[in-house]
Amino acid sequence: MDYEALDQLGRDDPYRYKDMFGMFLESIPSSVLLINRDLRVIFANRNFITKSRRTQHEVVAQKLEQVIPEAIIEHIDIASKVREVFQKNQPIRGDRMTYRAPGIPIRTYYYSILPFAWRGEVENVILLMDDVTEQVRLSEEVRRVERHLASVVESARDVVLSTDSEGLILTWNTAAEKLTGYRLWEVKGSSFFERFVSKTAELRQVFSNLRVVDSPQTGEWELLTKSSNRIPISWVFSAMKDERARSVGVVAVGRDLSEHRKLEMQLLQSQKLAALGVMAGGIAHEIRNPLAVCSSAAQFLKSPDTSPDLREECIARILSGIHKASSIIENLLRFARPSSSTEMAAVNLVDAIGDALQLVSNQAKIEKISVSADFSDKEIAVYGNANLLQQMFINLFLNAINSMHDGGRLTVCAGRLENGAVARIEDTGCGISPQHLEKIFDPFFTLSPVGQGTGLGLSICYSIVKQHLGQIEVQSTEGVGTVFTVQLPLL
Amino acid sequence: MKNTRPMVLVVDDEPDMCWVLEHLLSKQGFDLRVAQTGDAALKLVESTGFTIALLDVKLTDMDGLDLARRIKSMDASIHIVMISGYYYKDDVNIRKAIDEGFVSGFISKPFHHEEVIETLQGFGFHYN
Repeated sequence: MDYEALDQLGRDDPYRYKDMFGMFLESIPSSVLLINRDLRVIFANRNFITKSRRTQHEVVAQKLEQVIPEAIIEHIDIASKVREVFQKNQPIRGDRMTYRAPGIPIRTYYYSILPFAWRGEVENVILLMDDVTEQVRLSEEVRRVERHLASVVESARDVVLSTDSEGLILTWNTAAEKLTGYRLWEVKGSSFFERFVSKTAELRQVFSNLRVVDSPQTGEWELLTKSSNRIPISWVFSAMKDERARSVGVVAVGRDLSEHRKLEMQLLQSQKLAALGVMAGGIAHEIRNPLAVCSSAAQFLKSPDTSPDLREECIARILSGIHKASSIIENLLRFARPSSSTEMAAVNLVDAIGDALQLVSNQAKIEKISVSADFSDKEIAVYGNANLLQQMFINLFLNAINSMHDGGRLTVCAGRLENGAVARIEDTGCGISPQHLEKIFDPFFTLSPVGQGTGLGLSICYSIVKQHLGQIEVQSTEGVGTVFTVQLPLL
Repeated sequence: MKNTRPMVLVVDDEPDMCWVLEHLLSKQGFDLRVAQTGDAALKLVESTGFTIALLDVKLTDMDGLDLARRIKSMDASIHIVMISGYYYKDDVNIRKAIDEGFVSGFISKPFHHEEVIETLQGFGFHYN
């Protein structure tokens, strides 16, 4: 359209409006065709000419079926539809049409056919075509991404579920169905933390934390199944936010830890057996002493000339010897038995240390190591697992004993600090060099000769302390000794 | 057959074991002294002329085999017998000590009284 020519026309000149309509038709981002009763195109706007890659000459005054042959619009009978509008004087709106001309990329249009009537009679019709290729492509892309995401969630081996901000379940993937035995329809709309976890109050707190903090909340909580089993799960809870960053729900991803726990228990058990192996020599010595006393006392009793006083004494020594041997064996059994669970409860740290000291005392004795223990209180209650704590202390004590090749002193003390309980294990052994000090908690790191250390003792100590939400630290000076400090939260 | 009452040194950190050996040996006519640590044993060896020493292998202050070596170096005529619940008869350490000659015999705990008596008789002492 000639803008200069338009400018030259007067403001009220009717041609000015005509030209402005022409400009409008030329500039709108839709294709517009004006079609007469003979179904010939009498006007095509620039958008149509450009899109169809033709000239005005090739379009204007041509029959509609030549301009838009049925073949290239996938056999939509556009001519009949145009005729229908002529007859009924009613527009046809919003149908989709794919334009597939040779040499032109496929385009998708939304077309409308509008009657252009004069005194009740349709003179011409307008074929209006909006190019929606990009929108169609985008929506297909969105659907593809949605399908992809859904299949990722569905095929994940981890539990993936979502809830609204009140914790009512919205979605629940196949892994969640398999693990719990509940189908989605059985759980949809029920409260996640009231029905599916044992620690409802804790989880409620986690969900309310998510409304105020940005970071995901993680932790281990058991999932309750349809068959009333409890499955240990490591969870990551993240807030779902709307476009105004308001929290609208929660996504929970959970990993089944059962297998992991089983392996962990097996590892703990094999390390425990390795520790028992180390203690075997000391224990054998310690049991054979009371056995020897019992045996000799019985031999004295057998002799007819043993005095009544000696007989009495023999009986007393036999009884005390048997008691001594059986208490050593009982301690050993208690330690050797696999822990049935890692359940945490109130544990007296003093007892845990005392039991462990008793088990290694034989070993200390044969290595000529004097042991002293000092506790600030008779009872220092921590939240923990007695069996695991005992295993940790035995590992630390055996390490200390092994580091003192020519005898020495093992000093154990425990007390309360402002923020927890602390146990200190000090030896006068060979010490650990600075370059080894940072590796001592690594699994399989060992300074023992091949075949004599598993390298698991301290890494297991570390994991036991972490499980108790505590800390373990080490200080060492070569040739002077080593101090391990274990801090545990008080009950 | 020797005519003097042989003096026996018993070293064991377990009072019960000392009680057993005291009763067993005094009944056999031996004179004996008891020590519960290596240090106490060495002091006794310095002051007393022992003919036999019965030593536990594991003591609180020193290794029984080290103690045996030191006693033997102080008085080469003492017959040393190790009594232990820690080692067994053909244990490398025991065989080595016997081969080197500073230990004359080994008795594992628990033991038959005859075994102790026969071991001592093997050194040529017969007392009743």
